[in-house]
Amino acid sequence: MTNQELMNRFEELEAGRIFGDLEADEIREWEELSKDPRCQGDPSLELLATALDIDFDEECDEELPASLRKALEEGMKPFVVAEATDDKVIRPSIWKKIFSDTETAWAVAAVCLLLLVAQMFVDESPEKRFAGSPEALVAQADDVIQSKFGGTEAFGQMSGEVVWSDELQEGYMTLTNLPANDPTLKQYQLWIVDPDRDEKPVDGGVFDIPADSGTAIIPIRNPLVVRNPQAFVITLEQPGGVVVSKQEVVVALATAS
Amino acid sequence: MINQPQSDDSDGGLLAQVAGGAETAMNHCINKYGPLVWSIVRKYVRNPSSAEDVVQETFTDLWKSAKRYNSTIGTETTFVGLLARRRAIDFTRKANRQPHLEPMPESDTLELASTEPSALACCEREDVKAALKELPEETRTIFSLHFDEGMTHPEIVEKTGLPLGTVKTRLRRGLIELRNSLRRLDDAQPQDTTSS
Repeated sequence: MTNQELMNRFEELEAGRIFGDLEADEIREWEELSKDPRCQGDPSLELLATALDIDFDEECDEELPASLRKALEEGMKPFVVAEATDDKVIRPSIWKKIFSDTETAWAVAAVCLLLLVAQMFVDESPEKRFAGSPEALVAQADDVIQSKFGGTEAFGQMSGEVVWSDELQEGYMTLTNLPANDPTLKQYQLWIVDPDRDEKPVDGGVFDIPADSGTAIIPIRNPLVVRNPQAFVITLEQPGGVVVSKQEVVVALATAS
Repeated sequence: MINQPQSDDSDGGLLAQVAGGAETAMNHCINKYGPLVWSIVRKYVRNPSSAEDVVQETFTDLWKSAKRYNSTIGTETTFVGLLARRRAIDFTRKANRQPHLEPMPESDTLELASTEPSALACCEREDVKAALKELPEETRTIFSLHFDEGMTHPEIVEKTGLPLGTVKTRLRRGLIELRNSLRRLDDAQPQDTTSS
């Protein structure tokens, strides 16, 4: 089979994957070919199929059933970042900025078919439940990892713990005596080391420690699915965080037991 | 105290706000995209109760993956529609007891984005319509039955009398050909250096 024939075959299988009609032997073939560097995944077909779904759709003004609407509103609550209501809840300033933003005009134009190529980005998320706190996570999940943080030399006074569930894709850090940071100068960033996924650590979210915070509970926000975390590393990075850390300032480390 | 980590993605309009956990934005997102998601899911998932479950799963996906939306790649509508379509197709495959297929490795996709930025460029609605007309009549009919009416392959077989293998092949190759047509169309268009 020539390179072109190989790529054509993979593309046809990829189209079948998008239509959800691959047979078992085709799935095995797709999996095999997808490992071949000549067969790069191309999201353009799936984007096009989605655009066709939207374009052909003539009923997209149909209102959601009231019960479904209510269920969606309930379902989003665990993902809402709460407003500061007392001295135990701290709302990073960036949220205020986000809330003050108006919706951009191009979002309206989203109803048009615009297909661009590229990455996209979506993991098949395994989440089904959401615990909402470290204690609830430990109580609800059967696969919770609990590890102690140890500060590096300059952060030796800090202590903390991380709890994580692969099943729920949810986790929290409880951090004590971590020095307050000035978000305009530096921000803390969590990294999750998961060799099963990638040799590069997965971004676990940027966060701040305000002055006089005592013990802070930081939810882990992993945009990518983590399957087998081996370590959790906190670094100090430029404001907004970085895509790949140079680990110039490693603050603390917790290894999964 | 609970400190919420911040999103560093600020390019995605409404979805950027969703990624930040803004309740107002999430509600707006349900208002704006709920009917679209409901509509796509209902096409593929006929049972209303199951369809509601799939819609809820889609929005849970959206709350968790909004941060990954890249506005330079496609519209928010397409992103949300893609999530809905994936969930719906996945549901129908499981319902049909077809083997589970692992998702495409993300690292490959990210790499592709940086190496082949012109794989498929801007496609206006009219461009897609024009490209559809280039497809054989039989393929256009099958496309309409699938994308418009949400017919399953067996339903298309029953409707058209075509063998199942032919339906599959027409859909797969039709999608590829349509994409190729759009690429040719894009290549033929003069480069516009101004943003629209």
